[in-house]
Amino acid sequence: MENQKIEEFKQLIKSRLNKPMRYYLDVCTRCGLCYDTCHAYYGIPKKEYSPVNRAEVVRKIYKKYFRPSGKFFPYWSDATEIDDNVMEQVYEAAFSCTGCRRCMMFCPFGVDMPHILSIAKLLLIANETAPEELVMLADGAVEKGKSIDLFKEGYRNVIKDLETEVQKKLNLPSSENLIPMEKKGANILYVGLSGANSIVHPAVIFNSAKEDWTLSYFEAVNFGAFVGDPEKMQFIANRIIKEAKELGVKEVVIVECGTAFRIMKHMMGELPFKVSSIVEVIHRYIRDGRIKIREGSIKEAVTYHDPCQLGRNSGVFDEPRYVLKKLAGDFREMTPTRELNWCCGGGGGLVALDNEEFRIKSGKAKKDQIVAAGASVVVSACENCILQLNTINQGYGLGVEVKSLSELVSENILTGA
Amino acid sequence: MWDYISYLVMVPMVYVAFTTLILGIIFKVYTVYKSPSIPARLGVYPQDDITPVGIIKDSLFWPVALKKSPLLWGFLMVFHLAIVFLIIGHMELISDFRVLQIIPHDVFLGAGALGMILIVSTLYFLFRRFRSPFREISIPEDYLLLIILFFSILFGTIFHMSARYGSYSELVKISAGDFREYFMGLITFKPVLSYKLALAPHFIVLVLHVFFSNLFIILFPFSKMIHSLFIFFAISLKRK
Repeated sequence: MENQKIEEFKQLIKSRLNKPMRYYLDVCTRCGLCYDTCHAYYGIPKKEYSPVNRAEVVRKIYKKYFRPSGKFFPYWSDATEIDDNVMEQVYEAAFSCTGCRRCMMFCPFGVDMPHILSIAKLLLIANETAPEELVMLADGAVEKGKSIDLFKEGYRNVIKDLETEVQKKLNLPSSENLIPMEKKGANILYVGLSGANSIVHPAVIFNSAKEDWTLSYFEAVNFGAFVGDPEKMQFIANRIIKEAKELGVKEVVIVECGTAFRIMKHMMGELPFKVSSIVEVIHRYIRDGRIKIREGSIKEAVTYHDPCQLGRNSGVFDEPRYVLKKLAGDFREMTPTRELNWCCGGGGGLVALDNEEFRIKSGKAKKDQIVAAGASVVVSACENCILQLNTINQGYGLGVEVKSLSELVSENILTGA
Repeated sequence: MWDYISYLVMVPMVYVAFTTLILGIIFKVYTVYKSPSIPARLGVYPQDDITPVGIIKDSLFWPVALKKSPLLWGFLMVFHLAIVFLIIGHMELISDFRVLQIIPHDVFLGAGALGMILIVSTLYFLFRRFRSPFREISIPEDYLLLIILFFSILFGTIFHMSARYGSYSELVKISAGDFREYFMGLITFKPVLSYKLALAPHFIVLVLHVFFSNLFIILFPFSKMIHSLFIFFAISLKRK
């Protein structure tokens, strides 16, 4: 590989050597306790899919260029120069990891593997071998942020159609203003996704709760984070922050998208508004009696898949269970559950890639959990998880129904209550 | 020639080792201190005890390891406790700390048992890496550090047990006082390698112990051994 390119890579690694990164790169003793904690390793037991090996791919490069031992005595730490073969390992490490951080729960040092892999993703972008799909989607989101005025009219027309759907579901005489936009001073700015369901069901819920809300022009999903470009990640999240500030809302509510929620809640520093997940808002409405649902209306056995970014990485465990226990007469936990729940294998943008065979295999842990729970309805609260759960469902012929929490609530809401 | 080598190991190399250790740790901490912070919160849920007590508890007792592998945890706990006691024991070779004589004893308190415990646990850590899957994730550093540590402990234990249990004349038997003379000489930068020490029956074993210990101390800040310091910071991020 050319020296100039190696220099560029070194600068990129250097740019990521923040405090946590320094701890995580140095503290690991390769005790191996994380070895079998990754869902990908569970499905495909190869060392390449063990968390420690993924981190080592990056660590060996770091040592080569930033540690005297790596420079002068590479044998000591198995320090590796970057070449095409190593870059393939880097790709495998970065894009077989969903960023679920389950391994972190088993690491005595609390090493955040996805944080280490942010270096891997940055190197892949510079090497122009990052997944093209994610790069394009991130670029599209950035472009939309730069020229939102060009998109507004078209988007409003789409929303008008969705308002008609909401009207039908709520059995109202008019569809006027059922999905408000650009409403200054609203309590809530709701940020959805590009799919109609991510807007229609929450709109049914917000209107039933008589909430003072407004819809964002942007999608919550952050492809900048998935591809591993920190600047694009910041830009994509900042579009929403800017919109929320301009409208002067009190709360930004994020659609069922774990990563989008975690970024807004935990990665963007102090914000002048509250950040909530739609799951927390639904829980709040039911708890406070602002919406009524048909309690116990679901007769089949229901289980809940904790989206990693919502549960383990953001602490939203109890709210979806509260809602589901109201709706379902037979709610069953998966084993293990909550913070130790297995990742479905769809996070980190993997669900957007052409890798279905890998995702079915790496979804084996989730498949086994669903089968063991014996549920016929699997509910989750993350679009990526829903897509991946459907892939697992079809791939293994499970014959279960996969639903999002907001869809389930919207279908079982008592209108006019 | 041997006198020259043994002096090099017992005096200049000890200074080099401790200077490297102190400057290395300062350099490591300074490098981290100068690195930028990030606004992101990297903790996981449910949030346990986020006070320093909780962080210290996780850092010293590794509940995560206990849940995942009780056997490994047991060896780790015994190993680290033995290390702590041995450090205290070595301090008694520097000076007679009255506080440490709550239980009246000759140096060392373990009378050789701690060394044996460390030998067994170091061998466990080493052999564990000979088999899959740990073999695949291990790198030369993992083996070399354990081998260096193993030799340091082995020679230290042999020397201590020989001196303690061997039937030697009082004329050649080494006492804690002889070590205190040696250590105080090093600390006051007036190094003395007394004839009594140099003529002890197992002096070569002592030199080997000091050599491997020096090597380990030199490597400490620049190897994964820095985990003993960084664990507190990494755990605080997990709990934040």
